[in-house]
Amino acid sequence: MPNRVPLEDGYLVFSEDGIRLLGSYSPVADVTFFPTRKRCPITEESVQTVELSREGTLHAWSFIHMPRMGSMDIDPGGGYAVGQIDLPEGVRVQTRIDGRPEDLEIGMPMRLEADVVATDEDGTEYCGFKFVPKSRPSPGSTP
Amino acid sequence: MNREVYVIGVGMHPFTKGYVPLRDMYFTAGVDALEDAGLKFRDIGCLYNGYIGGGMMEGVGYAKDLGMTGLPVVHVENASATGSSAFREAVWAVSGGAADVAMAMGFDDMARSGMPRRKPPPGRNKAVPGFESILLPAGFFAMWAVRRMHEAGTTVETFAAIAAKNWNHARHNPMAQRRADHEITVEEVLAAPMVAYPHTAMMACASGAGAACAIVATREWAERLAGGRPLVKVVASQLQSEVYSEGHVFLGAVVGPASSTERTAQLAYEEAGLGPEDLSLVHVHDAFPIEELMYYELLGICAPGEGDRLVHDGDTAIGGRIPFSTDGGLTARGHPGGPTGLAQVWDATRQLRGEQGPFQVHDARNALVHMMGAGSVCVIHILQRG
Repeated sequence: MPNRVPLEDGYLVFSEDGIRLLGSYSPVADVTFFPTRKRCPITEESVQTVELSREGTLHAWSFIHMPRMGSMDIDPGGGYAVGQIDLPEGVRVQTRIDGRPEDLEIGMPMRLEADVVATDEDGTEYCGFKFVPKSRPSPGSTP
Repeated sequence: MNREVYVIGVGMHPFTKGYVPLRDMYFTAGVDALEDAGLKFRDIGCLYNGYIGGGMMEGVGYAKDLGMTGLPVVHVENASATGSSAFREAVWAVSGGAADVAMAMGFDDMARSGMPRRKPPPGRNKAVPGFESILLPAGFFAMWAVRRMHEAGTTVETFAAIAAKNWNHARHNPMAQRRADHEITVEEVLAAPMVAYPHTAMMACASGAGAACAIVATREWAERLAGGRPLVKVVASQLQSEVYSEGHVFLGAVVGPASSTERTAQLAYEEAGLGPEDLSLVHVHDAFPIEELMYYELLGICAPGEGDRLVHDGDTAIGGRIPFSTDGGLTARGHPGGPTGLAQVWDATRQLRGEQGPFQVHDARNALVHMMGAGSVCVIHILQRG
């Protein structure tokens, strides 16, 4: 297993059962935020760091026919998809998603996966995250 | 506002995709505004420079071409709402009594002003993008459009019709970046290359370079310099940042919560003592047509879900009930960044004076100008003739 490092600290963790996004829960407001907050922006009270659900539903999507940020080349397949995912905690996450326009439907279940953005000379993988249709087999699972 | 504030001069350098040194565009817009007002630079009490790209003290440097009078100069930056925010600072300087005459200048060149990048933190070998820079802004607006299609049955033809209208408004505007030599049709907009479904390249705002300037002053100065022209009064100046709302997006806050525009508009209407039915024309942050469509509703021009009908009835074209983006908007006049909000003030002021010739709105009395800054701030001004 390569050494995986998040693009920035504080957004996600790799645990034994895979990748998890980190959020903040405000007990007073009973609201969860992503990414983490220093304190609750509604009550100004303290928040607790929580691991968010790995599954959610697709609220909105688009397919981008342009190079990714920082690149001059268009992805094979003519682009890439983006989406807004609603998690059960009441959090909306904007993210890269996998899928062609014809595969994507508002309301469909989606699952979190690591997204390797860059690899270092020593093999370290710098990871963001993405969501993929839940119906797609997990990496490493037998079809 | 403590003291009444009037727009007494506006000036622009045309927005362009070509290369013009920023120093030259700054000078052109500044002199244009000073001549429009009938002022010397030495009459200006303070100056707010709005730009997103560029280097340290760039605006102060360019201002030396206009004069060196020792006046206070400050840099303002609020993403797309930079020019609008500089304008608001100038309005408040006059309103609060810090100056009798204040200038707001916006300039930028999007092709030559890379966003500042921070170096990787200690212990990282490779400069990797942060989470905030993974997605392109075009994607966020496109998702808003797809959601709208899902909820309200909006069609791509409606988005194309808004864009075509704005392209056609710009045809007569000498300051516009995109000036088509023929009437733009819905079919032509739809046939352009797809950028981010459902938005094509002709629906995406024109990114380029330019400069725009506005001078505001007290009533005494405005009356003295009017020279027979109608006065243009600032009857509302509002800026709001975000308030948490359900489904709030923190990462990639480019669109911003819909409530920002509703809240800011409500404050502006209350301040002006006006309602949406009193407006003669409107400028909005129409980086993509989904925005103009949604702002019809969020500004209270029509009820929620009725924006599509406004487009089909031609209500928001010049000659219609409430024209939007009369100079071509971000779509076709262009959106260089810093000067965009001041280009709105340029058109609104000249519309209220009746000076816009082939793209003049008949008997314009009240103009609302709206900008979003990276989804995180909303700025609205209402200008009034008289």
